[in-house]
Amino acid sequence: MDSGSAVLDVQNLSKRFDMTQALEDVSVDLKAGEIHALVGENGAGKSTLIKILTGIQQADQGEVLLQGKPVKISNAQEAQSYGIAAIFQEPMVFPDLDVAENIFISHRDRGFFVRWKKIYQDAETILEDLGIQLDVRSPASGLTLAAQQAVEIAKAISLNVKVLIMDEPTASLSSHEVSQLFSVARRLRDEGVAVLFISHRLEEVFEIADRITVFRDGHKISTNPVSEVTRESLIQEMVGREVSKFYKSHEKTVQGRRIGSIKNLTKQPIFSEINFDLHEGEILGFAGLVGSRRTDVGLAIFGVTPADSGSIEIEGKTELIHSPQEAQKLGIAYMTEDRRKLGLAMPMSITENITLASLKKYLGLLGIVESSREEQTAGEFKERLDIKTPSLTHEVGKLSGGNQQKVMFSKWLNTQPKIFILDEPTRGIDVGAKAEVHQMIRELAKQGIAILCISSDLPEVLVLSDRILVMREGRQMGILEGASANQESVMALAMGQ
Amino acid sequence: MVKYLSQVRPEKQRELVLLLLILLVVIFFAMMIPNYLNARLFNRVSTSVAIMAVLAIGQTLVVLTRNIDLSVGSIVGFTAYFVGQQLSHNNEIEPMVAVLMAIGVGALMGGFNGILVAYCRVPAIIVTLGTMALFRTLLVEYSDAQTVLTVNLPQWLLDFPRLNVLSHGRLHLRFVVVIMLAVVVLFQLFLRFSSFGRKLYAIGSNPEAANNAGFPTQRIVLISFLLCGALAGLTGFLFLARFGNITVVAGIGFELKSVAAVVVGGVNIFGGSGSILGATLGAILIDLLENSLIRWLQISEFWRDALLGLLILTSVATDSIFMKRIRLYWAKRHAASTS
Repeated sequence: MDSGSAVLDVQNLSKRFDMTQALEDVSVDLKAGEIHALVGENGAGKSTLIKILTGIQQADQGEVLLQGKPVKISNAQEAQSYGIAAIFQEPMVFPDLDVAENIFISHRDRGFFVRWKKIYQDAETILEDLGIQLDVRSPASGLTLAAQQAVEIAKAISLNVKVLIMDEPTASLSSHEVSQLFSVARRLRDEGVAVLFISHRLEEVFEIADRITVFRDGHKISTNPVSEVTRESLIQEMVGREVSKFYKSHEKTVQGRRIGSIKNLTKQPIFSEINFDLHEGEILGFAGLVGSRRTDVGLAIFGVTPADSGSIEIEGKTELIHSPQEAQKLGIAYMTEDRRKLGLAMPMSITENITLASLKKYLGLLGIVESSREEQTAGEFKERLDIKTPSLTHEVGKLSGGNQQKVMFSKWLNTQPKIFILDEPTRGIDVGAKAEVHQMIRELAKQGIAILCISSDLPEVLVLSDRILVMREGRQMGILEGASANQESVMALAMGQ
Repeated sequence: MVKYLSQVRPEKQRELVLLLLILLVVIFFAMMIPNYLNARLFNRVSTSVAIMAVLAIGQTLVVLTRNIDLSVGSIVGFTAYFVGQQLSHNNEIEPMVAVLMAIGVGALMGGFNGILVAYCRVPAIIVTLGTMALFRTLLVEYSDAQTVLTVNLPQWLLDFPRLNVLSHGRLHLRFVVVIMLAVVVLFQLFLRFSSFGRKLYAIGSNPEAANNAGFPTQRIVLISFLLCGALAGLTGFLFLARFGNITVVAGIGFELKSVAAVVVGGVNIFGGSGSILGATLGAILIDLLENSLIRWLQISEFWRDALLGLLILTSVATDSIFMKRIRLYWAKRHAASTS
């Protein structure tokens, strides 16, 4: 394979999921013997491209050419047979099978009988060539994440890979492991493999990539040799989106007295040394890229996965919160990012969902739930948050995303929280409903609730927040004033610049 | 001893520990019960294990794929009755035909389970709980509450359980035990060396990854249920040969015993790991305990079940607690010795 020719040519690819255009008319080419980095914000369309290339999803439009010939990749097996392999942040190994078997599990030509001796020898040879020391007979479950990735790479090599996609492979690796991974990637490049490298760490991208492609909002913005781009130009291209007209301009809410203080909150190895204060009526935005561990901090404060050390002080009471019950007693509410899985009981009625987190208030004689008072509360919230539904006995699962979100707001507001943690409050709802939810969040802040808003939607964080805490890989990178922050300053912190 | 054990891979330790336990049980009862260790014990336990081990092997195939088959007891009952009745009506049926008939009927029933689980995506525990009742009712209807009687069966079948391959004094190696050993060896090799066998492990180990690797997961799950049913059918034949009189309650409780043997034998109930050899040893241990406790008069019948339950609980607990530690310890030692 001569270096410089396009192995994989993606032409005018488009993909749509219900409400969102994940990819629109995207064209990228990968050359043999290059490491091609793909960068972009959350939701830029990187993952969708990978899923299409590996056959997990199919494109609506466009073509994929492999060495000049158009190919149709309709499942994972076909992707493999074309020589396209992917390794992910979380490797897909078979934990109970041993290393050698994991490497050779997908070989279709190995016949009916497994020749163990040959498999062990071949596995050893491949790993040796990669410069990786692993016991080929030990089960994959005991391996570190880095070693599991090595197994996946070895598997790709055993399948004569032409295109190797690495999706955030370094996110959970130590710096030593990263440099090992890079030397393997370079070795593969030198052997003529096209490597597509996706990372949120710009310094890594500059260290290893030959060319860099930027995605934003499902579009390809640019592809340039690494020598022709700078960190600044890259960040500019990644965030250079206009703030949607649906967002209202930033209005400062009144900031009251301090009601909470988080000090040195740490949960090894996930996040460490998180410090911030919360004030009455303040909206504190939590910004960061996928994997920055924002949600983990939220879950620790709410006691779902308690922190190891540090302190959480609320209204003068200092304690580490160990369970959601304790958190609720202290006046904390947490609205999850995953409505379907963790937030709402979909087959139950609106009323039942709204009172679920505060059922105690409705217990009457003999501990029987008084449904008339439940209905009264639900009716109040329907008015207050403008929930659009024919009746309050309607199944929550049948409401629109925006209205489901309002039911969830009601549920937690009914616990009368002092601190309200919102995790991705507008995920999966349309732009109109988004503006409404933003208005609601501001209203709540005006009523004196301290709001901690975790969001991957950078413009949303910017318009809502009084202050913005930026996280990167479990560390607090800084707190910016909402009025003076802009996309570039937040992104620079989030990418560790 | 410990030093030697630490040389062996954790996966193999499980089987060694089982062997050790079996030995300890024998020694314990030999001390408690006078005249315990004799040829009759071996003959009795080995024939009764032959039945349970074959069933446990079938169960292992299903459990490895993260499923379970609770209908095997009913399949055993149905095939035992069905084949028994055919033989009562027509004593001329060839032995080989009778065996194939049992295996075929069992495979049909197992295949039915497999289709519902693999292609209709109903959880195995629900499907087989349903078919457990369904197959049993089928047996009641089919039999019209009649019993297969020993007197109507052909002579070769009645002689079959006492057919010896080897004899040494009063120690007999029964033909049924040889059948069991053949099944054990066949499936142990099949799982270890065939690509189908390895895919069975892969699916139970990480179903999502198996799908991404492009395995025909549905077909493999279907085949595992089919084989389980076929082995349950063979068990039904062995059951018929051993007991002769078959009523509608034949095989009741076998599903739980087979699951117990599998779990005690170290097969992970969440799929992906375990071996045929382990499941066989599990069946031997359970059967040996049962047979010995019956003869140990200090223990009441009720406590026998409790002891069995305790055995299952401890083995699962050791699996999740100790095995993890042993693996960690082993990995550390191994890392230390290679670096």
